[in-house]
Amino acid sequence: MLWRMRAFLKGLSTTRTGTLGVALTTSSFLLLVFLLLLQAAGVLGNSYAGLLTFLALPGVFVAGLLLIPVGWRRLQRRTGLSTAELLRTQFPPGLVQASPFGSSLALTIAGLTVVNLLFLGFGGAAILHHMDTPEFCGTTCHAVMNPEWVTYQSSPHAHVPCVECHVGEGADALIDAKLNGLRQMWLVTVGGYRRPIPTPVTTLRPARETCEKCHWPDKFYGDRIKTIARFAADEQSTPRFTTLALKVGAGGQAGKIHWHVAADNEVRYQALDESRLVIDWVEVKRGDRYHRFTNRRAIPRDAAPPAARTLDCIDCHNRATHVYRQAEDVVDELLADGTLDRTLPWAKAAALAAIATTVPRDADREAAIAGALRAFYRRQDPRALARHPAGLDEMARALAAAHARNVHPQMNVDWGTYPSHLGHRQGRAGCFRCHNQDLVDDSGRAISSDCTLCHSLLAFESPSPFQYLEPVRPAQPDSAMHVYLQAEFTGRAP
Amino acid sequence: MKRVILLIGLCSVVAGAIAAEADSPAGKCMTCHKEKTPGLYKQWFASNHGSAGVTCLDCHGAAAGESDAFPHEGAHIATLVTPRDCGQCHAKEAEQVQKSHHATAGEILDSNDAYLAHATGGQPAAVAGCESCHGGKVKIDPASPNKLSRLSWPNSGIGRLNPDGSKGSCTACHARHSFDVAQARKPEACAKCHLGPDHPQKEIYEESKHGNAYYTHLDEMNIESDRWVVGVDYFEAPTCATCHMSATRTQPVTHEVGERISWTLRPPVSKTLPNWQVRRQNMQDVCRACHGQGFIDGHYAQYDGLVNLYNEKFAKPAGRLYDIAKRKGLGGGKAEFSNEYEWTYWEIWHHEGRRARHGAAMMGPDYTWWHGIYEVGKHFYFEFIPELREFHDAELDQAIAEVLADEFHVWLNRPTADIKADIKSGAMAKLYADMFEGPLGQ
Repeated sequence: MLWRMRAFLKGLSTTRTGTLGVALTTSSFLLLVFLLLLQAAGVLGNSYAGLLTFLALPGVFVAGLLLIPVGWRRLQRRTGLSTAELLRTQFPPGLVQASPFGSSLALTIAGLTVVNLLFLGFGGAAILHHMDTPEFCGTTCHAVMNPEWVTYQSSPHAHVPCVECHVGEGADALIDAKLNGLRQMWLVTVGGYRRPIPTPVTTLRPARETCEKCHWPDKFYGDRIKTIARFAADEQSTPRFTTLALKVGAGGQAGKIHWHVAADNEVRYQALDESRLVIDWVEVKRGDRYHRFTNRRAIPRDAAPPAARTLDCIDCHNRATHVYRQAEDVVDELLADGTLDRTLPWAKAAALAAIATTVPRDADREAAIAGALRAFYRRQDPRALARHPAGLDEMARALAAAHARNVHPQMNVDWGTYPSHLGHRQGRAGCFRCHNQDLVDDSGRAISSDCTLCHSLLAFESPSPFQYLEPVRPAQPDSAMHVYLQAEFTGRAP
Repeated sequence: MKRVILLIGLCSVVAGAIAAEADSPAGKCMTCHKEKTPGLYKQWFASNHGSAGVTCLDCHGAAAGESDAFPHEGAHIATLVTPRDCGQCHAKEAEQVQKSHHATAGEILDSNDAYLAHATGGQPAAVAGCESCHGGKVKIDPASPNKLSRLSWPNSGIGRLNPDGSKGSCTACHARHSFDVAQARKPEACAKCHLGPDHPQKEIYEESKHGNAYYTHLDEMNIESDRWVVGVDYFEAPTCATCHMSATRTQPVTHEVGERISWTLRPPVSKTLPNWQVRRQNMQDVCRACHGQGFIDGHYAQYDGLVNLYNEKFAKPAGRLYDIAKRKGLGGGKAEFSNEYEWTYWEIWHHEGRRARHGAAMMGPDYTWWHGIYEVGKHFYFEFIPELREFHDAELDQAIAEVLADEFHVWLNRPTADIKADIKSGAMAKLYADMFEGPLGQ
């Protein structure tokens, strides 16, 4: 058997080309089997090993296979012999001797062809499978994808593979994705990509195909209580709480937040540009016709506006996974969960000043942030600097970690580069893109932006998280608001 | 049973929501405005109105049918808050304001100032300039029912003519939404309007020792104090408000800003106001918190002297010549302010003459002389009279000759050495001796 294999391989090694082909095919096959065994044993796990195993080795294998017939053709041309004559000169008589089921050579070739096909089939499937892993998407084009990869890993969708949302299902989706991938590979190779890369809102799969596999509108009901802790930039970092009872239900015709995507409703809108931050008009289907609200203050852009859209998940949840936080939100959260020590004087102000500092592209984040922290205290409260040296180091570490999740100097991703369309923290962003006084219908009526339309308020920058569920203190200037909001939430007359 | 409970629950939710709106409409205002206009909300929250339970609708609530009332989130709102609205609680202040000269500032539309702005400048200049201090007539925008016209709102001019017939705007001094007393007591509140070439009260105050002391001691002046009696609650310096409005040991605070003013320094020729002696006593009562009577009498003698000087030596003769030129239509230009001499005359009394008089009233020496009488004299002798002489009108030339033959002006044709000798000997001063004795020619 071994003799036969050797004779076979030797016979195929006709010219230098043929020899190279045999060598490549054989060695890549053996190496692949070896690496697969290692991976199965758990010794190899990183994505570069995957790239070698599933992309490079099968490629080498196929290239080797192609070289073998090329070598054969060359020999034939050089010697001028017929195929039968060549077979006789290249292989020992035992191999080429005719038999009822074909010669040993023919059987060997047939057998190896089956093995090759199996191997290539497996290889192809393995390639596709490997390219479907988040590790492939996230780390292959390391610099470009790193911001998205980092945010993805700490997101609510960390266990949902990239391709579930970005590729979708079906052969057409797969082909689209692979062609797009080729283009991106070229851009990465020549460095032609934009920094920061623009959000691919226009090429995302439709939300109905992706998001709604897990989150369908009828599933949203009831209220969701959310407390946002904010800290003042004073010496005590005084906490202030805003607690929302978000009316996340889909509702019917009347407003709950997910009304926008409820099965019976259709909302369409025209944005002025791809950022979708300024809305030119928005309309809602009522029976057969659309009721339109037009932006009376929209300033037309030079470039042609994007096509009108039917509102879906992504129009609000534009950062469902690749969540970039605002600097102040990050600091407030770290203070709220105790990662940052609020007993340090000026903790909020110092942390905010430090985390918002500019970290040069190749600088050490922690060192830069620690420097900014010390500079803050030297200016504000030098005694604190002397009293809490360890506290400051700890703060710098925590801030650097948070900074690394959100700021990516290599890709020009800074605080606020990718705004979120949820809520309405930044003026006319988020919900207020449509819910404002400028979008009016023919009769001049604006879409409601009444606070309690979408959420009850149980605290509003208040000293306690459920301020408005507590008894009203009549001496407070805002007691009227307290009475109003308590009644709105509890449904009880004050 | 479940259904019944559900129904009861639903009813109570609806009832609760209705009750909430009915019982606490201002709460609804705050809920949104705290988020959408946080600055406005926080100013109000920290204000005395906030702690006194004065909420949004107490000032902005309106009845349907009022010309400037528009429906907004279930209530009728009037953007404009007028002295009549403020007067619901601050009745005495509102009444004093209606009687004050401040409240008449909006009548400027009938004045030469407004004529000049509209003719030489144009409406945009009048709206953004004149009417922003004086107040304009607030109109309703015909294109947007019950909302205020953009050409008349915003306007916090002190003599604003409001749709409800009231005059004035409390926010001219008590800026919204903090309505802070300290702010109104500081000279900067007045200095929105009382500054510039025609009435530089702010600059004069800064030049004076009063201003100097104020900027030195502002932090010690108890300026946030509810009661603010000069000499009792503070003593470091007076502000504009101290002398013209705030309480003394014997007078209550007043919003009739002319109650302590004896001369009017506004017109071409200054006159004393009705009851000027009483008004002057009121002012001297303020002075006495810090100054002895001798000091006060000296100040008023010097002040009267300067106003009389301006009146007698320049204002009256210039006015006489101006009237002749106007009556005879000299200069060729038909419209008012179409001839250069009219501008010269205007600046002599409206700018330079006022600067001199205000400078003397408030102890600003540089404004009295270099920015004041010096400029008056220079322009009277070397611009105004030469411009009139160019008309070669016999009657006018005769009048000019008479004016220059007056004892105030004969110096022009005397040897310098003689004049210097008369200055040294006191002979020159005799011309002005009676001017220090009180208002002349009233």
